[in-house]
Amino acid sequence: MGDSQYSFSLTTFSPSGKLVQIEHALTAVGSGQTSLGIKASNGVVIATEKKLPSILVDESSVQKIQCLTPNIGVVYSGMGPDFRVLVRKSRKQAEQYHRLYKEPIPVTQLVRETAAVMQEFTQSGGVRPFGVSLLVAGYDDNGPQLYQVDPSGSYFSWKASAMGKNVSNAKTFLEKRYTDDMELDDAVHTAILTLKEGFEGQISGKNIEIGIIGSDKKFRVLTPAEIDDYLAEVE
Amino acid sequence: MSKAAVDLPPKGGFSFDLCKRNDMLAKKGLTGPSFRKTGTTIVGLIFQDGVILGADTRATEGPIVCDKNCEKIHYMAPNIYCCGAGTAADTEAVTDMVSSQLQLHRYHTGRESRVITALTLLKKHLFSYQGYVSAALVLGGVDCTGPHLHTIYPHGSTDTLPFATMGSGSLAAMAMFESKYKEGLSRDEGIQLVVEAICSGIFNDLGSGSNVDVCVITKGHKEYLRNHLLPNPRTYINEKGYSFPKKTEVLMTKITPLKERVEIIETGDAMEE
Repeated sequence: MGDSQYSFSLTTFSPSGKLVQIEHALTAVGSGQTSLGIKASNGVVIATEKKLPSILVDESSVQKIQCLTPNIGVVYSGMGPDFRVLVRKSRKQAEQYHRLYKEPIPVTQLVRETAAVMQEFTQSGGVRPFGVSLLVAGYDDNGPQLYQVDPSGSYFSWKASAMGKNVSNAKTFLEKRYTDDMELDDAVHTAILTLKEGFEGQISGKNIEIGIIGSDKKFRVLTPAEIDDYLAEVE
Repeated sequence: MSKAAVDLPPKGGFSFDLCKRNDMLAKKGLTGPSFRKTGTTIVGLIFQDGVILGADTRATEGPIVCDKNCEKIHYMAPNIYCCGAGTAADTEAVTDMVSSQLQLHRYHTGRESRVITALTLLKKHLFSYQGYVSAALVLGGVDCTGPHLHTIYPHGSTDTLPFATMGSGSLAAMAMFESKYKEGLSRDEGIQLVVEAICSGIFNDLGSGSNVDVCVITKGHKEYLRNHLLPNPRTYINEKGYSFPKKTEVLMTKITPLKERVEIIETGDAMEE
C-alpha cells in the first residue's frame, strides 16, 4: 500500500487523504472490549464487558465506567490508561466551567471540550492520538443525551451505539431492538441482551459493568447485586 | 501544549507592578478606595455529635452597611463548611477555589473529603500570598476521623480548637464561649450557645449586625439554618405608605413634528468593484 510510506508521522496526510495514525487508533479501539450505550425516553444506560486478564485480578478494584460530573458518566473501548488521562482532563474542564459560570456544564459542552483535547493530540508534534473511543451519557436541561467521541476528535449524538470487538453484531441487534419510547428499565434489559450476544463464557454481575442516569439527573454505576437482579429478569 | 479551553488567570503570587505608583499617589495625598469587608462575628464549636458554625449577616464598606443579609457560611464539601471574615471578595474567591479543588480530589480518590485537606489547601494558598488575601476563616466539618474545627489567619497560620471565634466581634463572642462552653454539649445547647455568642457580637460590635446564620454538621448529615434568628426586625414602617405631592403642574402641551433636515443628492461615480 502506498499509504504505508506515510504512516510514520501523525501530522502528515497520506495521498488518499487519510491520517493513517488515526486509522490505527480506530483499530486499537476495535480490538478493545465491547461497550454500548442506549438513550431511553427518561434516561441513558451505558454498559461494558469487564473481562480481566486473569482470575487473580481483584475485580472490585477495576471500574471502567466513570462519572465526570454528578449528571454525566462515561465508558470506553480501547486502551485503559488513555481513558484515565481523558477522564482526568474532562473532570477538570467540567469543574473549571462550573467555577466560571456557576452552572453545571451542559453535556454538549463537555463533549465538545473533550473532543477538542483528543483532536489536539492528532495535530501536535511528538504525541500520538488517544487509543480510545468514548461513550458519554448525560442528563441535563436538554433531556437525556448519548455521545460517541472517536480518537480523531469527531463526535456524534446517538440514540444507541456500540464500540469495540463485537461492534457490527451489537449494532445490528440494537437497530432491531431500539424503539423511541423505550423506558430506562427496558433499555437496561436491551443493553444486557446486546452484551450477551457476543459474550464468551457465563455472564454475571461480576464481569459486566452498567451505569445509568435517570430523570433524577444522578449518574450511578450499578452494584454487582443489582446487575444480577436485572440478569435474572432477562432470563 | 494543550491549552485549557477556559483561560485561567496567570499562575504565580501577587503582582507588585503597581505598588510604586500607589506609594507615589499616597504621598501626594490620594486616599485609596475602600473595599467591602465583612466586619463580622464568626464562631464555631464542637459538640457531642459534630460541629456547629455560626455567623452574623452584615457586610460593611467603611462606615456603610452595604449588605444587611449576606451569607458568610460558605460550602466547601458536603461535610465541610467554612465561615469567612475579612474582605468579602477574598473569602468568597478562596473558599470557592478550594471547594472546586476538593471536588476534583473526591472524584480522583472516590472518598469523602477530609477537613484537614481543606485546611492544608487553604493555608498553602493564603501563605503564598503573604497576607495580602485578607481572609480569616473558621473551618469546620465531620469526616471519617471525627469532627474538626480550625481557624485560619490571613497570613496562613492555623489553630485547631474545640471552640473558636474570628472577626471584629470575636472578643464579644469569645467572652460568651469562655464562660459557657463545656465538652459534650447537646445539639440544642450547642445551637443556643452559638446564637448567644453571635448575638453578643451583633449587639456589641459595630462591624457585625442583622441576623444569625447557623450550620450544624454531623456524621453523614448537615443542616444549614439560614437566618436562624432575626433579632433586628425593621420596625416603625408607616402602614399607610408614603405619598408625595406632584412637583410640577402641566399647563400646556404643544407637539411640533420635526421635518426632514437632510437632503440626499446622488452625484459622483458608483464605487468601483
